Amino acid sequence: MTDKYTAFVNGGFGKSLAKKLGLPQPAKLRRFKAGQALVSGPVLVVGSGSDADAVATYLLDGAGSSESIDVRRQAVEPSGSKWAAIVVVLTQVTAPGDLSEPILALGSQLRSVASSGRVIFVTRPAAAGLSPAVAAARNGAIGAMRSLAKELRAGATANAISITDDSAATSPSALSALRFFLSSRSAFVDGQIVAVSSEAGQVPESWAAPLAGKVAVVTGAAQGIGAAIAETLARDGATVVAVDVPAAGESLSKVANRIKGTALQLDITVPDAGAQIIEHAVARHGGIDIVVHNAGITRDKLLANMDNAKWDSVIAVNIESQLRINEALLASEHFTNAPRIVSLTSTSGIAGNRGQTNYGASKAGVIAMVASTSPLLAERGGTANAVAPGFIETKMTAKIPFATREVARRLNSLQQGGQPVDVAETIAFLASPASGGISGVTVRVCGQNMVGA
Amino acid sequence: MSVLTPANRPSRVVELPSVPGLTALYGKAVLPSPHDIAGAVSSKLPFGKSAVPTVEASTLRLPDVTYLVRGVKGEPSHIVDYQRLLGEPVSDVLPAGYVHVLGFPVAMALMVSAEFPLPVMGMVHLRNSVSVARTIRTGEQLNILAWAQNMTGHAKGTSVELVVEAYADEEVVWRGVSTYLAKGKYLVGRGDESGQIDRAEFSAPLPTGRWQLGGSIGRQYAAVSGDRNPIHMSALTAKAFGFPRAIAHGMYTAARALSEAGRMRPDAYEWTVEFAKPVLLPGKVDVSIRGDAGVGGTGAVTYAGWNGKSGKVHFTGKITPLG
Amino acid sequence: MAVSPEKAPTTAQSSTVQSPTLKDAVIVGGNRIPFAKAGTKYADASNQEMFTAALEGLVARFGLQGETIGEVVGGSVLKHSRDFNLIRECVLGSSLSPATPAFDLQQACATGLEAFITVSNKIRLGQIDSAIAGGTDTVSDAPIAVSDGLRKALLKASHAKSLGQRVKAFASIRPADFSPATPRTDEPRTGLSMGEHQAITSAKWGISREAQDEIALNSHVNLAAKYDEGFFNDLVTPFKGLAADQNMRADSTAEKLGSLKTVFGNSLSAPATMTAGNSTPLSDGASTVLVSTREWAAQRNLPVLARFVDAQTAAVDFVHGHEGLLMAPAHAVPVLLKRNGLTLDDIDFFEIHEAFASTVLTTLAAWEDEEYCRTELGLDGALGTVDRARLNVAGSSLAAGHPFAATGARIIATAAKLVSQKAAETGKPARALISVCAAGGLGATAIIESAH
Repeated sequence: MTDKYTAFVNGGFGKSLAKKLGLPQPAKLRRFKAGQALVSGPVLVVGSGSDADAVATYLLDGAGSSESIDVRRQAVEPSGSKWAAIVVVLTQVTAPGDLSEPILALGSQLRSVASSGRVIFVTRPAAAGLSPAVAAARNGAIGAMRSLAKELRAGATANAISITDDSAATSPSALSALRFFLSSRSAFVDGQIVAVSSEAGQVPESWAAPLAGKVAVVTGAAQGIGAAIAETLARDGATVVAVDVPAAGESLSKVANRIKGTALQLDITVPDAGAQIIEHAVARHGGIDIVVHNAGITRDKLLANMDNAKWDSVIAVNIESQLRINEALLASEHFTNAPRIVSLTSTSGIAGNRGQTNYGASKAGVIAMVASTSPLLAERGGTANAVAPGFIETKMTAKIPFATREVARRLNSLQQGGQPVDVAETIAFLASPASGGISGVTVRVCGQNMVGA
Repeated sequence: MSVLTPANRPSRVVELPSVPGLTALYGKAVLPSPHDIAGAVSSKLPFGKSAVPTVEASTLRLPDVTYLVRGVKGEPSHIVDYQRLLGEPVSDVLPAGYVHVLGFPVAMALMVSAEFPLPVMGMVHLRNSVSVARTIRTGEQLNILAWAQNMTGHAKGTSVELVVEAYADEEVVWRGVSTYLAKGKYLVGRGDESGQIDRAEFSAPLPTGRWQLGGSIGRQYAAVSGDRNPIHMSALTAKAFGFPRAIAHGMYTAARALSEAGRMRPDAYEWTVEFAKPVLLPGKVDVSIRGDAGVGGTGAVTYAGWNGKSGKVHFTGKITPLG
Repeated sequence: MAVSPEKAPTTAQSSTVQSPTLKDAVIVGGNRIPFAKAGTKYADASNQEMFTAALEGLVARFGLQGETIGEVVGGSVLKHSRDFNLIRECVLGSSLSPATPAFDLQQACATGLEAFITVSNKIRLGQIDSAIAGGTDTVSDAPIAVSDGLRKALLKASHAKSLGQRVKAFASIRPADFSPATPRTDEPRTGLSMGEHQAITSAKWGISREAQDEIALNSHVNLAAKYDEGFFNDLVTPFKGLAADQNMRADSTAEKLGSLKTVFGNSLSAPATMTAGNSTPLSDGASTVLVSTREWAAQRNLPVLARFVDAQTAAVDFVHGHEGLLMAPAHAVPVLLKRNGLTLDDIDFFEIHEAFASTVLTTLAAWEDEEYCRTELGLDGALGTVDRARLNVAGSSLAAGHPFAATGARIIATAAKLVSQKAAETGKPARALISVCAAGGLGATAIIESAH
């Protein structure tokens, strides 16, 4: 979907006009293309201590690849270039006072952050049982990050990785999250915290194809976000089973053929949908490693006017089918090797939305479902997570009336709607073998939307 | 030996140098004066006027003469046109219907001659019977004999048979007998024969085919047969003779049935047809063309054509093996 | 009892090349686009677009992207002259490897089944290890030719060497020559439409209107039930917004069917019985079926639904009314059964193409008629009775529609899935008999059986 406004204000005349009128100036976001370097300029690692050193060393070593990354520890403006990213390692703060030095050092470099630059806070969770001062410092870091995300311009984002105390700052999932936030794959993820809760996860042989050898199932894959997910997972090396209702078969087969996967026409609300999915994936591709519950519908109506059909169909497709399929997956001997479940939820499930009681119920249900499914998968090295897209430019959102759409699309820190691929990249990140320590969480892909923030 | 033996015919033979042109003959036929016609026709004869005895039209006798044209054969491209129109295979087999086309002008010349007692214009073709002794090839030179016989009283007028025999050397290879009715001319008294298939008795069998005859089929058959009788050419010219629209040539329908009998036709056979209600053009004709082949079968082919809607019969006929 | 494949002779002398042992040709699955009523959903779709869509759905279902298939064989009955290499063009426009050979084949309504038989035989002989058979037809985008007169004039003009000759050629064009020649569905040798022919056959066999309507009703009910249970989820891929066969009427009733006017046989002396409800509608559509050796399927982790057992074609002399135009399958089936040591009782599914409801009924009646079976089929007595509960259980052409060349692969893929399901349920081999009648007095029949 094209955002004509963003294109306009990025042109010469439009740019100066928008500036003069004080109109929003959404930047053209850098997005990932195969072969793209992790970062396109120098990276500043701020903070002191062993974790900061470890992170800097990891980056200096190419972040697990053969790339050479210009890593600096001094908060001095790089000459002739801008910071591609600033990583602020705050894992070892013990009191709010410890924040000032690293965060002000960060502040001194903000004018030198490149377009689509990255600010990444590496922190530890303010978990119960900590001393009040430690907790305050840790949560203070998050607070600073959220506000900073709203100050950044030109497509730059700020996010945080919150690593549980008993996991190393360079545990597989911490690195997976670090790489995700550094890269342009996280273009539309802003102001978010990704919690790393264990050292589980397997760093891939090649970060260029982190899903190589994996079999992924994507429901609702015929178009929009689902198609982008299927394409992204395939690009990352997975063999994809593209699932959608039989009626969507024409576009589904096009997706499957583009990514050299297989098309499975299936109504996911039928009782044996899980069995059919497993049967297809195992028989045809020898296993099932990743399941992305993307299929979803909306049947908007104010609750006062809601009927059974509208309520029940949304619940059936958006949450009940996921529960039933997950049950089959958990019972299957084939879904045991570090499996991944990623569900699509929505900011409506977090913040609510007028006319979407049914949808909100289903999507809030999904958020809790992945949290409760997560421990059930832990012993097999598996994870369950959710991704909550904000305003994404799709055929569905293109149907929203212009004014409403224009407001909705600007109502975030990046002042624009996201692309389906932004959701897909986040899912690929969560589905990656390296992300085994990230489970039960919901990651928003919303450009730090004001709604539900 | 031929399965056909020469028929009785008037022994006096008048030889024509070539097959007369039918258009000219039709021109004569619509002219009022029989004397002019006789003169015109006889002028074409090699023996001069004296060769054809002048017979008064009122003598009620058929001309006691056999016309002869030697060395007749069709133009190859004309034969192909005929074969294509009738659905006969394009080959060196001369269709039996084509021999009729070759011989018809000779018979016509006789009918428009002065001594022929009946008016040619408006004559109705009642039935036709053709005997084929063997397969005739396209290159064969045929000697065509034509004479008239059996003038008979009929319920609706007077009927007469025109016989054409085709010889290859000394052998009769083809004989056609066409029975025409001069309506309203009771020259030899009123006969009993209705001359037509009893329509009440005809009950349509299950069809084996349906002909969709276009409005131009009359003109197309006229082009390959030379028979440009106005009743076949257009609705306008047909109306002048009392038909609501142009009508198909009877011999077209019979020859098409013969053609569609295809491989059911033996080498030597008799091919008959009785005409009933004319086929108006354009029009559809339901047809049944069935063979009695197999064990105990006669090998004969029976055919009929009728109007599928009204059930009224257009023609019936038979192809029977000879010899 | 499983029918064992015949073995090739193995007595070749040492100096001759040894013939390979016959292999099993197995049906992996199929794909078709839903069949549309002529002139509606696919009105602007060409045969090439439809067959490519069916092919792409098959590729997507079985992950055949970039695969070099042994051969893709199919055809269409109403075909543009520009489509001289129709199936090859479809392959080139698909996600298959461009190195996949293809050829066009045509046997009227039996095109699809004949394509399947052809590729199955090649697979059995070891000439290819995989194939896609199918067909496509559109009545909506049927070729319309210029009249013979115009065509001849144009050809003459294009061959003309001088301006004068060209002018002369064009001058020969008459106004009537500009009326186009549309394709005819009439039998060329009889001028009767297929419906009229079948009306004659129905009259001969005394098939009642009620019996025909019952066949039609069952077709709709059975097809709709199978759609409901998801049977077609892996057999059909939507096209141009159509997700299921457009002609299907799940709410059809005997009363509704009984109220329709007769359209064929109205001029026969016997009462007319054939309506638009118990005759197939003109339709557009395309279908494919994937066939291979067991090894090829196993190497690609593809399912095996059924194996090709044997096939038989026949033709009848319908031109002079000796036999009904669409009765050839009645002749082929006894030969096919006998060669394989089978009887009608050994068949679990009868897939008899419903060109017309009465085609099915006259075929069944013929097999039950002792005299007919003796004199026409050369049998000792009646062939037998077909158990109606086994007849077209997933619906057939009356409900699904009948885009001529697309019907064969529709039936094969459906039957393959039926026998596979039945075998899985019962643990015993299941068998289907497929019978397709065709214009020109032709008929093609085949037997497939479950492959486990």
